Amino acid sequence: MQKSDEELYRLMRKGNQDAFAQLYERREPALYRFALHMSGSPAVAEEVSHEVFVQLMGPGTRFDETRGSLESFLYGIARNLIRVFHRQGPVMEAVDRPYHHDILGELIGNETTAALHRTLRELPERYRDAIILCDLEERSYEDVARLIGCPVGTVRSRLHRARALLSAKLKRLNAPSEVFSR
Amino acid sequence: MTCSERTVELVECARRNGSNAGPGPELRAHLSLCPHCRDRWDRERQLTAEFRIMRMRTAALGAVASGSRDARRESLMRDFSRRRDLSVRPGRAAVPSWVWGLGAAAALLLALFLGHQAGKRPRETAAPAFRTHVPTQQTVVYEANYFLSNDASALSSDDFIAVPYTPPLAPGELVRMVHADLYPEALASLGVEVDPSWAGDVPVDVVVGEDGLPRAVRITDNGQF
Repeated sequence: MQKSDEELYRLMRKGNQDAFAQLYERREPALYRFALHMSGSPAVAEEVSHEVFVQLMGPGTRFDETRGSLESFLYGIARNLIRVFHRQGPVMEAVDRPYHHDILGELIGNETTAALHRTLRELPERYRDAIILCDLEERSYEDVARLIGCPVGTVRSRLHRARALLSAKLKRLNAPSEVFSR
Repeated sequence: MTCSERTVELVECARRNGSNAGPGPELRAHLSLCPHCRDRWDRERQLTAEFRIMRMRTAALGAVASGSRDARRESLMRDFSRRRDLSVRPGRAAVPSWVWGLGAAAALLLALFLGHQAGKRPRETAAPAFRTHVPTQQTVVYEANYFLSNDASALSSDDFIAVPYTPPLAPGELVRMVHADLYPEALASLGVEVDPSWAGDVPVDVVVGEDGLPRAVRITDNGQF
């Protein structure tokens, strides 16, 4: 039977490296994607997803099971780190990475997607959280409510509001092509 | 049902079904009548399709980044084992915080107790060395105000020997000359050279300041010379 995050965390605090490795395998990919969507920068996403686990194993970790899940705690650390990076300004991306030229280049190549991505990053954090977790990570409203610590209704209304903002952006993006097509 | 109420259903439908499935019959009927909602429906579907593209590309990014991810994972595991080794090193075992608290409380109590004891002890003023060694009666033979000099060495005249390491007399300070019989050891402590052959008390005159400290001493009649 698979151990819960909290059980793995307890084992990890006792020095069990396998438990730490399992936690990393289980949670790092989603944290990386979350950080990537939030920041738009692969370098920041790598740094954040790494730093979350550095902080988790550090002596000053204040995770309290009675106050929420470990996953929620990890997302909280990631969110704070992204804010720190955001305050520090743009991050220099390593240019010699293959994905920087290929996949990200493709992403930017699609104008609509790139514009939507930019708009997503400019949304207020609470709306961005809702879009990223509900629509990009395809988590349920209940899951997201647990992760960000607010009622399910709030998550739903934030998501709808965020989609309305993005939808308006999409309308503006579609408008020129409609003009040309006439 | 108003358009804004329809929007909630419309968004949820677009999210659930993506671009492939259509809305239910009731919503479809409304969309055929309302251009505003139909426009929103199209955009919501487009949004869902864009999100699908973003998901796929992010997954691809994650897959390409897996090489650096492995390196980061290795680095984390090394860091973890290093920290674990540090925490189990002999002599550095983690001490529960309550032990530190208890220790600090005990130290505080001890300090309070010692402070209290020190407060209860009668304060001892610095007494002249000879007082503790004077077995015989002291007689005040002279009292005068000291005006001559601040330097106690001035008292060395008339065979007085200045007592070293004593504070100088203040001008106008009342000095008394006290006659006493002192042990040779007491005389030595007042800076007088004592012959080891001396035995018994030695009659002396001691100049004492207002603070009770001796400033100068003179051997008056020592039959042992």
